[in-house]
Amino acid sequence: MSKITYAIVILILLAIVAPLMVPVLMSFSDTPFVTFPPQGFTLRWYHKVLTHPEVQASLWVSVRLAAVSAVAALVLGVPCALGLVRYKVPGRGLVLGLVLSPLIVPLLVTGLSLLQFFSQIGSRWTFIHLAIGHTVICIPYVVRNVSNSLILANPDIEAAARVMGASRWTTFRRVTLSQIRPGIAAGAIFAFIISFDDFPISMWLADARQFPLPLFLEVAILRFFDPSIAALSTLMIIFALLIITIMEAALGIRLRRFTG
Amino acid sequence: MTTSSGKRAALSGALLMLPTTVFLVVFFVLPNLYLIAFSLFARMESEGLVYGFSFENYRRAFGVELYVSVLLRTVWMGFAAALISIFFAYPLAIAIARGGFFGRIVTLVVVVPLLVNVVIRSYAWSQVLSRNGALNWMLTNILAVENPPQLLYTEWAVLTASVHVFLPFMVLPLSAAIGNISPDVLDAARIAGAGRIRSLMRVIVPLSIPGLAVGLSLVFSLTSAAYVTPQILGGNFSPLIGTLIYQQVMALNDWPFGAALASLLIIMVLAINLVFLKGAERVSARWTSGI
Repeated sequence: MSKITYAIVILILLAIVAPLMVPVLMSFSDTPFVTFPPQGFTLRWYHKVLTHPEVQASLWVSVRLAAVSAVAALVLGVPCALGLVRYKVPGRGLVLGLVLSPLIVPLLVTGLSLLQFFSQIGSRWTFIHLAIGHTVICIPYVVRNVSNSLILANPDIEAAARVMGASRWTTFRRVTLSQIRPGIAAGAIFAFIISFDDFPISMWLADARQFPLPLFLEVAILRFFDPSIAALSTLMIIFALLIITIMEAALGIRLRRFTG
Repeated sequence: MTTSSGKRAALSGALLMLPTTVFLVVFFVLPNLYLIAFSLFARMESEGLVYGFSFENYRRAFGVELYVSVLLRTVWMGFAAALISIFFAYPLAIAIARGGFFGRIVTLVVVVPLLVNVVIRSYAWSQVLSRNGALNWMLTNILAVENPPQLLYTEWAVLTASVHVFLPFMVLPLSAAIGNISPDVLDAARIAGAGRIRSLMRVIVPLSIPGLAVGLSLVFSLTSAAYVTPQILGGNFSPLIGTLIYQQVMALNDWPFGAALASLLIIMVLAINLVFLKGAERVSARWTSGI
């Protein structure tokens, strides 16, 4: 790659990172309003957001929701991936299309349709609505990751186990499962992140008690004029960096698969 | 990959797929179909909700100038974001496809922002573009521009932020497509005397068209269906269809009209996806003549 190309790429990378650095810088400003460049230095905004009860409540809702949705997506998605990859069922092309379709319909629309659906049947369990909505959009990621893993898994080992007399369930538990563990882990992580960061589904289904963090962030932008939001933004950027580090270190996941 | 065939196997396979299928049909397919049906079989009149088949909601969507302008703005914004992102994406995609240490760094910088919440990313841009934000500070203090205009709450703000937020969705498919180009092809071009620009235009771009199509589809779909970014960057001065749907349903309680707008959004996204993907097939076949 020529020097010019290198330079262009680096410029673009800087353009990607620069806007994200603005809230980081502003978060340390010792002024009761957001300003650029920051004036003074203080950590009190970090203290404020970390101890704010509404922040903590929203964070807890998001964490619980993401955990439930990821588990549900796994429980539904892993068997589905097995059925799709390992068995010749007539119509499995249709099922695959169905499983991937939540990726194609705009999330905004899916959320609205679910809100209408739940209010028509008169259901009032908001947390369950949110969990269902998030699970719907997480299933495609789980199925895709587990399927990829299954396709790469060595079928001869499974065949060997069956030949030696292992039952289908034992074979799955002791042979297949350990081979598709990376796919399951990747699917679980993506599902957790998708649910935790979700806005277009939550915006329709949430209520005052179940108010996930992204929704709180949007409201907070209008409410807090001080650098608290900048501090919260910085914390979430650091959180994102941590996740990537953990993912790379523990799983060596190919990040390209994320949108692939 | 062993696939078991035979009746018993088919039954096992079907049972494994059943829970997910039922779940998605009940909680995804049916609600969306119901939404579309609702837009055709209900409407809001002055006396309240009226039932009965009618295209009234769609007539309103295309008849009232305000709504038409929102629809047009959404489409133009989607196209603009998709096309602009091409120019930023190609250098990055080429760097990633080349691999090595630098390629991994580029991948990291492209992917990490995806893990940062879209609300935060949009907020960051609002702080860059506001009246006493970073951009204006740079313009007045470093470039000595007097009285710079406020870019926040304009279409350009929404466009810039959308390109920034959705760029990874163009870079990643493109890098996968470019990575599939055999290095022999590039060597052949170089031996035949092609300079860097030539080999870019005549070799890399045509062979990366499948990835380009996916990227264009993704960026268009995500930009046009977005709510957070246009809301924070454009406010009520530059509404896109997402903002309008939310307004109609939550503020004005006009569910049938909101449902109609949502159905239009689905159709818009599906249609444009088809255009990009089919178009890419055609162009790709013509340029690579079946290779």
